[in-house]
Amino acid sequence: MSIEVLLNEFKEIAANPAKQLNDCKAAGKKAIGVLPYFAPEELVYAAGMMPFGIWGSNTKTINRSKEYCATFYCTIAQLALEMLLDGTMDQLDGIITPTICDTLRPMSQNFRVSMGDKMKVIFLAHPQNRAKEYGITFCMKQYGNIRKELEELKGSPISDEAILDAIKVYNKSRAARRKFVKLANEHCDVITPIKRSAVLKASYFMMKDVYTEKLEALNAELEKLPVCNWKGVKVVTSGIICDNPKLLQIFEDNNIAIAADDVAHESRMIRVDAPEEGDPMRALAQQFAMQDYDVLLYDPASEQNRRAEFVAQMVKDSGAQGLVLFMQQFCDPEEMEYPSFKKALDEADIPHIKLGVDQQMRDFGQASTAIQAFADVLSTR
Amino acid sequence: MSIYTMGIDVGSTSSKCVILKDGQEIVCKSLVASGTGTSGPDRAVAELLEKSGLKKEDMSYILATGYGRNSIDWVDQQMSELSCHARGAYHLFPEVHTVIDIGGQDVKVLQIENGAMVNFQMNDKCAAGTGRFLDVMARVLEVNVSDLAELGAKSTKKIGISSTCTVFAESEVISQLAQGSDKCDIINGIHHSIANRVAGLTHRVGVRDQLVMTGGVAQNSGVVKALEEELGHTILTSPITQYVGALGASLFAYQKALKK
Ligand code: SF4
Repeated sequence: MSIEVLLNEFKEIAANPAKQLNDCKAAGKKAIGVLPYFAPEELVYAAGMMPFGIWGSNTKTINRSKEYCATFYCTIAQLALEMLLDGTMDQLDGIITPTICDTLRPMSQNFRVSMGDKMKVIFLAHPQNRAKEYGITFCMKQYGNIRKELEELKGSPISDEAILDAIKVYNKSRAARRKFVKLANEHCDVITPIKRSAVLKASYFMMKDVYTEKLEALNAELEKLPVCNWKGVKVVTSGIICDNPKLLQIFEDNNIAIAADDVAHESRMIRVDAPEEGDPMRALAQQFAMQDYDVLLYDPASEQNRRAEFVAQMVKDSGAQGLVLFMQQFCDPEEMEYPSFKKALDEADIPHIKLGVDQQMRDFGQASTAIQAFADVLSTR
Repeated sequence: MSIYTMGIDVGSTSSKCVILKDGQEIVCKSLVASGTGTSGPDRAVAELLEKSGLKKEDMSYILATGYGRNSIDWVDQQMSELSCHARGAYHLFPEVHTVIDIGGQDVKVLQIENGAMVNFQMNDKCAAGTGRFLDVMARVLEVNVSDLAELGAKSTKKIGISSTCTVFAESEVISQLAQGSDKCDIINGIHHSIANRVAGLTHRVGVRDQLVMTGGVAQNSGVVKALEEELGHTILTSPITQYVGALGASLFAYQKALKK
């Protein structure tokens, strides 16, 4: 299939999650909503169900969720609840609610109280000290709960073999996405920021084996192309999510390519694979233990500013000239990190801009001015 | 033959135009006090052409800038107002290193090296510290925006006004009025409130000589003075401060025209 056809398919899927959910249900599959961050989707896949990513919405308006949420909850969490309350997600058979940040923790109870009668609400608390043996044990117990709940929904046990198979499918999918991110940099004339975002976003609304097959086909086509000689500027994006086509259009209008990303919704979720042998539950807990360089996770050596240096290095390695940070309104972890993040970027002489965003934004005039001016700054360096 | 270029700065509250001859001489300029989304930009261009006796076709290159730059599609190019303000300020003050531009709805601080912008900061969404803030306050106080500087200069007593939020500040002003505070003192307090807010943003970029202020609010000497006090630094302004963005745009247009 041609690159254009494949890109169009990804675009359609990314833009129409509801259709994907309907199709999945029509095929007789159960579907499980998976909220951010780091839920072991492999278990859902192993249960023969479809994991369905819920990362807010760029088109919905916060309305009913106001009944449950304080205004200082980020829009990602509020809009996730909104879509559950307004019936958009009625077809789901359950949701997994991780509790990594101070918003998601109380939010998990809003999900439980508001949706508990309608669907299975599966609570997930990750360990803070994830790399220690007791952290791994705790994580395995938590994942064990999820497995049990899913087995209840399934009506039969999920075998260890099925989980190991799922791990292989997911590792393969992550590898394909990492490769795509690299190829998107080399072929940024073809894979524009909007297209790049759609390809990565589509992964949240598809069975991973189907997704990976399509992505590998795209990667193979991209590999045949000569590496592009990009005349515009290149940046690394950072933040929780930046999938709004209107916002990404500003990048395209100003000839800004995305060389790599430190975005939770994109590369931060695919950095680490799980071991493919041994006890599969332990493998999944180990995978979480190995996650690193993420502001959402506890870092015992945080005073060393390793994460910020890691991102600064990413900017250099990817050939980008600067970094655009999308700061989610009311996101405590990201805001708390910013001073040390900025310090590391300044020390590495990497220019950056911080854009305040939320999913209710409909006018991007100010962002457009800032991004255009940033492109001007980068092109004179 | 001379090269004429036009710069159009479509702001949130006003539209400004400048025609340059050979990238040096300002042939003509115009200003209409309506900005993007209104007939302001068209009227400003029409006025400019009429005054100058030139036609659009006489222009070698036309460049639009400002918040509403993308709303005019018949120009040769659009460019961010930050780059244009930097360019315009550099033309007027060749020693400039820092520019503070307070416009109708935002504040920008630019760092300039050898005429090129190398760093910048913009305010967040809130209107505190912007021209809009002054408009709102002038309305509450029932005075003209253009009289604020003169009235504020008569102040004899310091009054603190919140610098956090336009809505908070408005209710503070109303309660000051209710308490019978002198209008001049309140106005001076408002100028300091803006200065305080803008100074915070300026420190993020750093102040280096020369420090130039551009944009409409730079016409208000009360704000300029308050900002000088906050920053402990002399601020230069130009008599054509409102046109700096449009001037920068026509300077860039000249560069482009030469390359054409
Ligand atoms: S955006 Fe920030 S506050 Fe919101 S769910 Fe994610 S980490 Fe938590």
